[in-house]
Amino acid sequence: MDDVEVDDVDGNRIEGGTSLAVANYLVRSLAADPDSVVIDTEEKRGGVLLKVHVAPEDMGRIIGRRGRVAQAIRTVVAAAGARDGVQASVDIVDD
Amino acid sequence: MEWVEATGNTIEQAKEAALDLLSVVEDDAEFVILNEPKTGLFGRIKAEARVQARVRPVMPPPKRGGRRRPEKKRDGVDRAKSNPGMAEGQVRETGGAEGNGDNAETNESSSAPRKRSRNRSRNGNGSQKSGEGKSSERKQGQREESMEESLTLEQQGEQAREFLLGLVSEFGLEAEVSIDQVDDETVRVAATGNDLGLLVGPKGATLAAVQDLTRTFVQRQSESRTDRILVDVGGYREKRVAALKRFTESVCEEVRSTGEERSLEPMSPADRKVVHDTANEIEGVNTRSAGLEPSRYVVIAPGE
Repeated sequence: MDDVEVDDVDGNRIEGGTSLAVANYLVRSLAADPDSVVIDTEEKRGGVLLKVHVAPEDMGRIIGRRGRVAQAIRTVVAAAGARDGVQASVDIVDD
Repeated sequence: MEWVEATGNTIEQAKEAALDLLSVVEDDAEFVILNEPKTGLFGRIKAEARVQARVRPVMPPPKRGGRRRPEKKRDGVDRAKSNPGMAEGQVRETGGAEGNGDNAETNESSSAPRKRSRNRSRNGNGSQKSGEGKSSERKQGQREESMEESLTLEQQGEQAREFLLGLVSEFGLEAEVSIDQVDDETVRVAATGNDLGLLVGPKGATLAAVQDLTRTFVQRQSESRTDRILVDVGGYREKRVAALKRFTESVCEEVRSTGEERSLEPMSPADRKVVHDTANEIEGVNTRSAGLEPSRYVVIAPGE
């Protein structure tokens, strides 16, 4: 099977490739400026932290009122992580 | 258009509960606040917040662009510089100091006035506070551009389906997604396939999130308000409603025969509605809700 695993720059396999793919899909779908979406991954003990960067004017869209959209993204991405047996968490980074 | 009522510890919670009942995103609902919450000493809740809500009616047509965010603004840098209080010199200075990545903007300083006026009109489009007058013509043009995106219910269903299919495939799963027009203003998209349990999650929590994201996605493709979009995965909702109905019927039967009321476990507003609706069709029982969100529950009592 040609299992699609995302490789990082060093060519290492990233834990939780599914969660990254899903996070990328969700954020890009919801952003007005999908080309500015960048997601960094950081391995943590027992999991992976996905740091989401979006265009400044997309922050509101990705977070949503009272964080509703962000919360939904976190829930679905966590489910995607479970598919790889990884705890996936999402940080939406204000930069 | 039917109104629903919901309660919560705060107005916000009550609104969330109402949105769950209506199956729409907040932008597409309108609210009437019936009761502000009252807190007594030491933050004890004396009275819950109560709101009434309905899906925002199509007529009269919403003021186009009035509350809307500006569509598809791409250039964040550009926008940052459009700060109306900033003199041109300052703008250039800032751009120069930052140097990298901003150069394209800075080098175009000869066209700055034109650009600035365009920016102002964009700003006005967003906040409706500035940019009236001269730029209004251009604003009108932009608005028409984005207005062509109003979607029919059928198209909304199609968008929801695309979104869901994409999501399923990112999960590395396969599913078929059907579109089913429930009524004039409701469309249900349902994914079926193997191993979709992950997308349902514990007590349907992941499914609720997927539904939320699907609605948000569709709403952002459409300039006008969107209709009700229900999302189901693996027949979960259907099964859940059917099971809840059976359960309610059996409890009603018990209450009728024993003459004693029964309190059910806490449920979401949508689930409680199923219980109320089912029990109301049965003679000899009454229902009411008690407790505070999120632990609000239904009580089934003997009655007429």
